[in-house]
Amino acid sequence: MSYWYDAHLILIQSTFVSLLLALSIQFPLRMGVFSFAGIGSYGIGAYAAAIMTIRYSWPAFAAIGAGMVVAMVAGYLLALLVSRLDGLYLGMATIAFTLILTVVAINGGSLTGGAQGLYGAISTLQTGQVILVCAVVVVLLALSERGRMGRRIDAVREDPELAVSVGIRVIRMRRMAFVVSGALGACAGGMNALLRTTVSPDDVGFSLVVLALTMIIVGGSRSWAGALIGSVIFTWLPQVLQAVGDWQTVVYGVIVALTAVYVPSGLLGVAQNGYRRMRRRSGPVAGATEKATGSEEPGGDSAPLEPLSEDVPTGGTR
Amino acid sequence: MNTPEDAAPPAVLEAQDVAVHYGGVKAVDGFGLKLEAGRICGILGPNGSGKSTFLAAVTRLVPLTRGRLMLDGEEYHNTPAASLAHRGVARTFQTVRLLPDLTVLENIQLGADLRAGGGGVKQWFRRTAVPEAVEEAIERTGLGAVRSARPGELSYGMARRVEIARALATRPRVLLLDEPTAGMNQAERREVSQLMQKLRDEGLTQLLVEHDVPMMVDTCDRLVAMKSGELVTEGAPAEVVRDPAVQEAYLGKRGRNHA
Ligand SMILES: Nc1ncnc2c1ncn2[C@@H]1O[C@H](COP(=O)(O)OP(=O)(O)O)[C@@H](O)[C@H]1O
Ligand SMILES: [Mg+2]
Repeated sequence: MSYWYDAHLILIQSTFVSLLLALSIQFPLRMGVFSFAGIGSYGIGAYAAAIMTIRYSWPAFAAIGAGMVVAMVAGYLLALLVSRLDGLYLGMATIAFTLILTVVAINGGSLTGGAQGLYGAISTLQTGQVILVCAVVVVLLALSERGRMGRRIDAVREDPELAVSVGIRVIRMRRMAFVVSGALGACAGGMNALLRTTVSPDDVGFSLVVLALTMIIVGGSRSWAGALIGSVIFTWLPQVLQAVGDWQTVVYGVIVALTAVYVPSGLLGVAQNGYRRMRRRSGPVAGATEKATGSEEPGGDSAPLEPLSEDVPTGGTR
Repeated sequence: MNTPEDAAPPAVLEAQDVAVHYGGVKAVDGFGLKLEAGRICGILGPNGSGKSTFLAAVTRLVPLTRGRLMLDGEEYHNTPAASLAHRGVARTFQTVRLLPDLTVLENIQLGADLRAGGGGVKQWFRRTAVPEAVEEAIERTGLGAVRSARPGELSYGMARRVEIARALATRPRVLLLDEPTAGMNQAERREVSQLMQKLRDEGLTQLLVEHDVPMMVDTCDRLVAMKSGELVTEGAPAEVVRDPAVQEAYLGKRGRNHA
């Protein structure tokens, strides 16, 4: 066990860093906010932690925390800036944010080390501490998926107009999503920079956008567990796929395409559906008497109810 | 026009000369009404006359082109929709809008969450929303048997009740219902009407948009007729229904069918 642990330490660390990165994209997505600002925040966190460590010898958590604060402020400002955007346009704007940060990193002179980046960010950060941080984050996010917060996040995503009509301050919730995303992304970036003792513009670029998105598409976009599944798979898959060499990328592409087409809820969704089916078989579900016409498909993306009779007009103000 | 009753109760919510234009479409164009405390007001009007748009304007979901909105005599046309909900104005929508992945119970809790208090970080740790409000709403709408069902498993009439229950769970002072009984059978309609009257007796101020004229006459204390975004007439239900303009605009077709 211990030998295995030592031999795979880098992959183990990467799994947890990737988890935080995936969560930084997933959290806003749960509110219907298609933002990649978490990736930019990863860059902010990585550079901030490296700079604070190299130049000022700050302790690891202070250095990471500094990056998180900067990224949270940046996230809030970005949220104000893009408040009128939605969907694809929002996604593009936030990718632009990430790309701009990469350019800043390349042209940052001695502060960011230019294209070479920064070296020698040596700290006391331990893998155990990284895992502990991830555990705390996961607990907090798991709480946000249940109870009151879970319902409110669902409402903001599924039907913002309904959400405001039951008193949810949707705009505020979405801004909070940017701030939380910034904190998670910067935390991931900061930890990674300190674990590797180095950061360069290549480490924080567009490839991370693809990686993060891949992880939550394949794992599942609604729950932290989906992000965990995704980060495990895509951290360890390259190891498994070493044999196929250059074909790795193709295998990646096929996996993503297949899950996107056949299991849009991700592998987590598959697991949950299976579990629900088993429970259904073992006993009748309470309630649910009159059944309207509709698909038998459990879970899945059930469409909102349609009016049954012709004389029910559909809403004009939706 | 004045109601025949002397000493009308004070207006809780009042809309004056409201207009909502979508480009060239004048969805609402100079309509208004007063919701008197503890009374049920109804809006009668053919499809497309602007009732739903008026409700959206009153609940701040669409911006006003023109007009005045007042809650307790205080203008609120810059108040965000969410704040209005916190001030006790609840509504249902003409189309069923339930969250498909949540159970009936959770959909109703979504309403009660409003009264759980504590925004920001605190809401993160709060599990349950005012359980009494939820239970009361479930009991009143008769949804006890389906509380753990999902919206997709409900009949249309049942789903509509969940909408009403969610609004009630916010513990409103003013309740606006947009065709709450569309798709319901006669018995279910009667239940909704009885529920509304019971709520009125407890002091809830309500606005009902509905096509079922006999039900409107039975349920409402006052009717306002609307056509093409404008006010046609208003007054006691029996009078409004007899008004020639209303007969022509709205009841004409129905009248012929009966003859
Ligand atoms: N978002 C919108 N954009 C353009 N026109 C709209 C919109 N919403 C409603 N309308 C139009 O406004 C008019 C009133 O619609 P509505 O308020 O739904 O009427 P009602 O509820 O009385 O049936 C209709 O002609 C409708 O087509
Ligand atoms: Mg309507």
